[in-house]
Formats: sequence, structure tokens, C-alpha cells
Amino acid sequence: MISRARVLIGFLAVAVVLFFVPGIQEALELPRFYVIFLFTTFFWIAQASSWNVLTGFSGYFSFGQGAWYGIGVYTVAILTGKHGWSFMTALPVAGLAALLGGLAVGFVAFRVRRLSGEIFALTTLAIAFVLASLARITTAIDGGTGIFMTGTPIPEWLGEYNTAMYRMMLVAMLLTVFTAYLVHDSRLGWGLFSIRDDEPVAGGLGVPVFRYKMTALGINAFFAGLVGGVWSLQLGFVTIDDVFNIRVPLFVILMSVLGGLTHWMGPVVGAVIIYTFSDRLNSAGLTDVNQMIVGALLVVLALAVREGIYIRMRERWVTTLVTFGLAMAVSSIFDLAQSLVTDFAFALLATILMMMVPDSVWHRIRRRGGSEPPEASPKVDQLAGAGS
Amino acid sequence: MDLLAQGIVTGVLIGGLYALMSLGVSLSWGALKIINLAHFSFILLSAYLVYQLTITFGLDPLLMMLVVVPVFFVLGVLIQMFFHWAKVDEFKSLIVTFGIFIILQSLMQTFWSADFRRIGSELNPYEGNSLFIGDIALQIPSLLAFIAALGIAVAMSFVLSRTYFGRAVRAVAQDAEMARAYGVDPNRVAVLLSGLSGAFSAMAGVFIALGQAIYPGLAVSWFGVVFSVVILGGLGNTVGALTAGVIVGVAAGAAAVIWGPLAAPLVTFIILIAALLFRPQGLLTSRSVA
Repeated sequence: MISRARVLIGFLAVAVVLFFVPGIQEALELPRFYVIFLFTTFFWIAQASSWNVLTGFSGYFSFGQGAWYGIGVYTVAILTGKHGWSFMTALPVAGLAALLGGLAVGFVAFRVRRLSGEIFALTTLAIAFVLASLARITTAIDGGTGIFMTGTPIPEWLGEYNTAMYRMMLVAMLLTVFTAYLVHDSRLGWGLFSIRDDEPVAGGLGVPVFRYKMTALGINAFFAGLVGGVWSLQLGFVTIDDVFNIRVPLFVILMSVLGGLTHWMGPVVGAVIIYTFSDRLNSAGLTDVNQMIVGALLVVLALAVREGIYIRMRERWVTTLVTFGLAMAVSSIFDLAQSLVTDFAFALLATILMMMVPDSVWHRIRRRGGSEPPEASPKVDQLAGAGS
Repeated sequence: MDLLAQGIVTGVLIGGLYALMSLGVSLSWGALKIINLAHFSFILLSAYLVYQLTITFGLDPLLMMLVVVPVFFVLGVLIQMFFHWAKVDEFKSLIVTFGIFIILQSLMQTFWSADFRRIGSELNPYEGNSLFIGDIALQIPSLLAFIAALGIAVAMSFVLSRTYFGRAVRAVAQDAEMARAYGVDPNRVAVLLSGLSGAFSAMAGVFIALGQAIYPGLAVSWFGVVFSVVILGGLGNTVGALTAGVIVGVAAGAAAVIWGPLAAPLVTFIILIAALLFRPQGLLTSRSVA
């Protein structure tokens, strides 16, 4: 267990460094692309982390991320684009609207006694499509024409437009991840873990099951909507088909499953990995196969890497750091790729390959190397909260 | 009034198609504890195959049923063997079949693009033709789908309640280990049932190719309807699925007449919510598999 102070210092350090990235990029005359890349990465980190508070912690599988995100995007688009609200007042409303939507779904689905997990999953699967058709027939929302978003004014004190967008996404992301961390280490978190392990027993032992599930869903929907609101700034033109599609839930599930559902850092690691690869595949012109690869990855990961890659990285942290550092150094010193992001993708790939070595093989190699015998991984159970 | 009567009749017939689409999902969820999202792509893939075979060979599209139904039976068998090999449980089935769904969707998008595809009227003697009873038209593709759904629902209900295979399915659904102790091979039962589910989805695909234009986004739009029907009908209950299909079809048809076609998904969803709140166990639970 890391102490709270160390986590806080870590958060602050990351926040300060990332806050000055746009300035560094201008000073060093690096491509503007790096800032945009980070902006999008933050978006996915925040989406995956918020999803994980519900699904990773409580075990209730949600396909509803696209719906909460879409509510956020549309709330900002309607309020600023059609009613002339300022962005800063529309943004919290976006989060609250998504929160209300989430609670409404939870209110119905969490009351079902039998099969409530499955029924919740399927209701959330249908909700995005229903919202899409609601938006299509209601002219007050969209009416099928789309909404122009270009030139939504954001306050001057945040800096130049792209920098301001970047900083707002950074703050939204840090808030989401920090909330996930706080939930993970709180009474609410332990309650959610117990619901995941055995809901009837948890209820019998006095965990307020319904309230905790609603809270987790509320946190999920609120941050998904809030982050969606910030994201809408760079959309330009908001359309139903772009917003309410299967992409957001798909990526969020994939990222969290890869990173690990049990720990708050899992989705963060997963989001960085998946988005980096997806971005590199797209820039290599492989957009068509991209989604196919993503689907195949989801099947393989769900069956193979059960505890998620973050837990493995912690267990093999020396290997992780050495592999990543070496690969990054080799790739950038010899200038194998033109872009720093590609170097980063190479380094990630090397690290993941090291993590994919199964535990049994791993321990045999280490024993032959003469290092101390492996512990029977009690650390994993500790990290995984109440186990899984 | 005629318009509403027509809407209701159309709804009943469409309900048959909804039921046919839901049978595969309902059976594999109810009896095998697998929520198979891949069935949605099976239905669409079958429709695309019928379209492709028809325009390639110029034969009657209904004949293509003889091709696609066996193909998807085999596909259903294979996917169940994969689930068994990978030890997929009810919860994990959602993630895994979602991945398969995404793969099949992007394959279809790559092969047939995002455009609308429709079997031309010179090859399709069914679309646009109707049987008239008084003033009320029965569209041939929907009528055929309804007859097929009725036949399958009744036949499956009979099989499940009266035959050895049916008893084995119900035993496996209730307790696979106990069924094994009594000499039933749960794996064989599961593989056969999954094959049948695949075959039913293929049938639904045939009637969809007969009756409407197809495009990759169609599969996602079925989620709401199919899950309403599955939950309202009761898991693994074939007659229940038909009843629920007709209810959803009539409600959506009436809504389409009154408020316009785009209102139909909303009505479907309201039925789903109502079903969850008041009858989460399904309308006709006593006859269900699980």
C-alpha cells in the first residue's frame, strides 16, 4: 500500500509537469501534434477511469459510457450553440445532465432482483441508441441536422485556445483519476468490492448496496459527461452518428480490461497503451483494420490477461522500467522513427511483451538467474482490493 | 381508423420477425448462460450473404435459406466449442461476444461498405408485394417471417417440453453438473442448441434481406428491440418470445402511425423499462427453459 502523501505528491508532480507541456512545446518548437496527442490521451484516461469506478469496482458491466459521454457533448453543444450560454456555465450542467441520465437508468435496472447485472448491461447497451433516436426526432436537441460548435468562446485567462482546451482536459482528467483513487481507498470502495465479490452477502452484512451502486454509477456518468463536454470543444460540428456510436464504450472497456479492472491505475495505463497504438495505426493509414484489431484484442485480453497489465507491471517493476527506458532510448537515439510518439509506442510494445510472459515461465527464468525465490504473490491480492 | 388497423396488422407481422431475431439470443442466454451479442452480427451477416448470393447467381433469394441456415448452424456450433474451450462464463460472455461483434461488424463494413444494399426488384419477387384481406395489406416478407417464427416457436416449445433433447436442455439449464451425473453430456447439448440458435438467426437474416435495405449500422439498432423481446418473453421461452415480439411490434407499429417512424425505438425502450419494472421474470415464465 502506498501512503496517501506519496500519491498526492505524485499527482501534484504529474499535474505541474503536464500543465507546462504546451509552453515547453512552443519553446522547443516541437510539433503541435504532441499537445493534441496528450489532449486525446487525457480524454481516454478520464473516460476509462470513470467507467472503471462503476464496472471495475462494483462488477456491474456497463455499455452506457457512450450515452453519458453523448449527453455531455450534446448539453454543451445545445447550451452554447443554441442558447448562447458561456462554456464555463454549460460545462457543469453537462456533468449534471449525464449524472441524472445515469441515475435514471440505475434506478430502474438496479431494482431488478434476478439477473440484475446482465439486465443492467443490456439496458445500458440499448440506452445510447434510444438517446440517438430521441435526439433525432426532437428539434430542440438536434432534429437530425447537427449543431455547429466552432468558435465557442472560452475564458481568456486560460490562455490561447488550444492551450486552454488542453489545460481544461488535463484538469478534468486529473479530477476523474483522483476521484477514482479516493473511491478505491474509501469505505465506498470497499463496499463496492464486496458487491463485486458477493452482492447478497454484502447486503446481508450491512453494505447499503443500492446506494453504493447508485453512487458509483453517478460518479461514472458525471465525469463521463463533464469530460465529454470539454471534448466537444474540438468537435466543430456535433452530429448524432459521431456522438452516439459504439466507439466510446468499446475503447473504454478495452482500455480498462487491458490495464486491469481492480486498481484505479489500471484504466490509466490501459488508456495510454491503447490510444497510443490506435493513433499509430491510424497515422500509418490502417484505419480500416484498426477496429478489427481492437475487437480481436478485446477477445484475447478478456481470456488471457485476467488481472490486467498494471498489476503485472507493479510485480515486475524493475523489468518494466528497464525495458521501457532501454527501448525508448534505443528508439530515439538511433532515430528509428520520425516521431517521439512512435518511439513511445515502440517502448510500450516492448514492455507489454515482457509483461505477457506467463507467471510460471517468468518465475522459472528468475530462479535460474539466481535471484531470490519468488513470493507467492500476496501483493496481488492486496492490490486487488478484496480479491477478485 | 384503417390506417391504425393497418399499423396494428403490420406490427403483428413485424413482431414475428422480432421474435425470430430474438430466438437465438434468448435460447443461448436462457439455456447456455451465454449472452451472445455476436447473434446480432450473425443476423446481419446472413442478410448480407443472401444479398450477395442472390445478385451473384440470380436465383430466388428465399432459396438461399438452404445455404445460409446450415452455414450458421455450423458457425453456432463452432462458437459454442470456442466458449467451452475458453471457459467463458455468463459475465465474460458479454465482453468476448462484444469483441466478436466488433470484428464481424468491421469485416462487413470492409466487404460491403457503409452503403445501403438492397436486392433489386427483378431478383426479389417478394418485396413490395402484399396479400390483401379487405383493405388491409399483408406484406409478403413480413408474412413469411411471421409464419417461420410461429412454426419455429411452436416446434421448439414442443421439442423443449416433450422430447429427450428438450428434457436434456432443461436439465442442463437448471444444473449442468447434476445433468452430467444423470448421463446427459452438457457439452453436446450446448453445442447442438448453439447451432440451432445460429440457424434461427440466419433465418431472421434471410427475411431481413427480403424485406429491407441493409447496412452495417443496422445491427446496433436491433439491440433495444431484441432485448425488450427477450426479457419480456422470458429467457429461453420461445412462445414467450413470439408473444413479446408481437406486443413490441404492435406498439412500435401503432407509435409509428401516430407519431412517425422515428418514435418506434422510444416506444420499444419504454416497453423494456416497463418489463424490467413489473415483470422482470418474463410474461409466460412457467414454460421457460431456465
